[in-house]
Amino acid sequence: MLLPDDVDVSDESLPLFTFPDSSTRFALVDNDISVAEFRPLDDIDRIIRLDVSSGDKTGDVVTIDGDEEDVFAIEVDGTTIEAYRSRLTSGGRFVSLDDPADERVELVNLVEPVQQFGPRLENFEEVLIDKNLGRSLTNTVLVTIVVVSGQIVTSILGGYAFARIKFKGRGPLFLLYLGSVMVPFVVLIIPLFQLMLQVGWLDNLSALIIPFMFSAYGTFLMRQFFISIPVEIEEAALLDNASRWKILWRIMVPLARPAIATLATFGFLYAWNSFFWPLVIINSGNPDGRVLSLALSTLGGRSSTDLNLVFAGAMIAMTPPILVFLFAQRYFVENSASSGLK
Amino acid sequence: MSDTITTDTADSADAEAEPRNALGTGLGRQLKLLSLWHLVGAAVSVVGILLARRGGDIELPWMPRYALQGFFSFAFVAHMASAYGIGARARWVRPLSLAVNYLLTLVAAAATLHLFNAFRALGDLGEGLYKAFIPFGVICVGLLWVLLSGQMLTNRPTAVGPQRLRTAGWSVAGLASVWFVLKADPSGLILSIGDSLTRPLALGAIALTVGAALATRLMWSRAAAKHFGSTRATDEALSGLAFLSPNLLGFLIFFAFPLLFSLWVSFFDWDTTNTTRDFIGLENYIRALSIDFAHSSQSNSGTEVLKGGYQVLANLDWFGQHWVIGARDVEFWLSLKNIMVFLLLAVPLAVLPALVLSSVLASKLPGMKIFRTIYFIPSVAGVIGVAIVWGQMFDATIGWINYLLDLLGVSEAGQGQGWLTQPDTALLAMVIVFAWMSFGFNTVLYLAGHQAIPKELYEAAEIDGANTWQIFRRITVPQLRNTTFYVVITTSILALQLFDIVWILARPIAGGPNFATQTPVLTLYQEAFTNNRQGYASSLAWVLFIIIFSFTSFQFRRQRDEATSGGVS
Repeated sequence: MLLPDDVDVSDESLPLFTFPDSSTRFALVDNDISVAEFRPLDDIDRIIRLDVSSGDKTGDVVTIDGDEEDVFAIEVDGTTIEAYRSRLTSGGRFVSLDDPADERVELVNLVEPVQQFGPRLENFEEVLIDKNLGRSLTNTVLVTIVVVSGQIVTSILGGYAFARIKFKGRGPLFLLYLGSVMVPFVVLIIPLFQLMLQVGWLDNLSALIIPFMFSAYGTFLMRQFFISIPVEIEEAALLDNASRWKILWRIMVPLARPAIATLATFGFLYAWNSFFWPLVIINSGNPDGRVLSLALSTLGGRSSTDLNLVFAGAMIAMTPPILVFLFAQRYFVENSASSGLK
Repeated sequence: MSDTITTDTADSADAEAEPRNALGTGLGRQLKLLSLWHLVGAAVSVVGILLARRGGDIELPWMPRYALQGFFSFAFVAHMASAYGIGARARWVRPLSLAVNYLLTLVAAAATLHLFNAFRALGDLGEGLYKAFIPFGVICVGLLWVLLSGQMLTNRPTAVGPQRLRTAGWSVAGLASVWFVLKADPSGLILSIGDSLTRPLALGAIALTVGAALATRLMWSRAAAKHFGSTRATDEALSGLAFLSPNLLGFLIFFAFPLLFSLWVSFFDWDTTNTTRDFIGLENYIRALSIDFAHSSQSNSGTEVLKGGYQVLANLDWFGQHWVIGARDVEFWLSLKNIMVFLLLAVPLAVLPALVLSSVLASKLPGMKIFRTIYFIPSVAGVIGVAIVWGQMFDATIGWINYLLDLLGVSEAGQGQGWLTQPDTALLAMVIVFAWMSFGFNTVLYLAGHQAIPKELYEAAEIDGANTWQIFRRITVPQLRNTTFYVVITTSILALQLFDIVWILARPIAGGPNFATQTPVLTLYQEAFTNNRQGYASSLAWVLFIIIFSFTSFQFRRQRDEATSGGVS
């Protein structure tokens, strides 16, 4: 990234600029000060910008383009010249790094910022605190944790029921679950939005959490895994009068760790990266309800200017899923791959 | 939860018959209480119906109103029948009583949580987590510690070290939890709970939850099962449904109902705030799909040659004949056109390089695993972050792509292409981002496909002196046919739902420039949430669903054919 190189002038970090006529760098010590633009009477195309308090009225009046203007005596490079004030505007005060006496007033957009490649860890601090991305981050963490845990519990219970317990309608019901995977989420957006509106969860994290604690895909995944565990293990326990609840949690779940890890990874990536649904639900101006993807899209949207901050935010958003993927890739890659063959 | 689903098999060892008879008298008393509870429940159901119907300021929105009325009507009938059935010792009463009490427990618990503002408080939990993020991190570290030492324990069950480690992990997590609570400052939460406790409705909901839960537990007990002569099959079915119930309820409420509701809404003129709701039959679909062809004597004719209400979609010149295509919803048709172009460009770009690359990677070179990981990362990193990074790369003035083109001398410095701002390249830019994100995933799918190719084929080809290209063309590609099919279909389904990338990358507005990146999902979003036409947007969703479904069913049919013909499983 191209960044204005910051220097410390009296313990404050200030942006640096260069002027075309000088090789030294200047620090912007004061921004948004009132600036007066003077034009010398002997060369009215030249513009001299000074602090608004500088220059004394000589009392003379000069006519420029039909308007009467006061004549000022201003000091430029040690000599006093006569000029009139053409307008007032706002600009910045710059001080040379090599020579503190060399002080200039100029419009900030007319000088070249010093650009330099370099690491700047403050970006992360700025984006987390000043841009409120920290709050969005914790929201995303909360949503992800609850969604993933919920999916794991409901999928284990449902998957076990589908795999091992006989009841009427199990087959057709399971087909319905399978079929639901084919329905794209866009079909559900409007009715789910209506539901959330009516229950009063609009703009609330509940709307991002509760509907997503149930996963047909996860149920399917767990069912497939439970089916692959030999029935004999369970039958022995059943003969010992153990309840199904105990069998599930004491015997089946420990065996199903790889499947649970896969489910958790998928759930994590889905919950962490989801964007469309939060965009629909968290739509008011309340930034405290935002999740990371949403905050990032606002920060890095079309009109973004602080690219360094946007990229720091993007880093924060992308690192956790990549880390989770790196740790869980064994399960993840295997499962994605095998689903490609099924 | 654990109490409600503990036990089933009613006919266990007969040796226990003696104590059960003793319990029987106790059971008799309890069952009388249960009948009474059912009568109370019936009365409460009537109150519930009335409460749900009440109007004025506290009127419920129609969805929960109808849902609660429906539920309490069912509950009234079920409670009355159960009260009778318990006395008559009917066999059917146990499932019925269990169903109504279990559902009542859940509904009452949800109502309690709602009345205590627990759902809205989830947002405050986010706030608390923000305030106490460091203790939260420490808790995570502690739990990870426990997990790791647990792993070590399973490897060496008798070792003392891991056990101590685990204890230490628990204490770290426990101490951090106290810290967390102090930092997160739940005083506001506690105050609001105390506040709600004084409301009679909240207290009633709590009482109902507890009562229904106790009734469920009693009816679930082995003694009750024996009393009502429950068969083993019924018991198994009941426990199956109990295990499935959390999942099934979520499935019904958040999938099945919305799906049907969406179809229903699509036949209405329905806006977001529900002030308009007119049944208009298929009008939404007709409006979305209407298209008009008109012959015109001059080129570039406008709406004057089209039917009323139609706008010009395209002008065509075929062999000196001028045709005008018009549509009632030009945006939707443009988005369909865009997505088809997108599909035709993005799918080959996401699949072919993956096929080639996987063939290179499939050779057992060292470091293969690292490549697998690296190629996978774009598809897990999250589309928003990735799109933002690409947005910078495509930038006309400070983008890396134009900078590289400058370096190569392809374009003049400062005169670079505005990739995202020009209508003819904007969609192409999205194609590139999409292909980049999906191609790594596809590569991994192909790699798995490679493992299924018999090695003998390659050995035989090498003996016959086939060159690399021939091997690739004659063995690898045909052998990977099934994988290719799967990859193409899944990539297409993803491509048809393009939204996020456009949302981030399109300039100056989503779908821009000049509708060049308008996609069906974007049109749907804008209709539903900008123009508030939810009925019309639902019909668009179903049109899109049918298009996507044609791809999916293709895939499903093929899988089924393979399964029946003993193909790759």
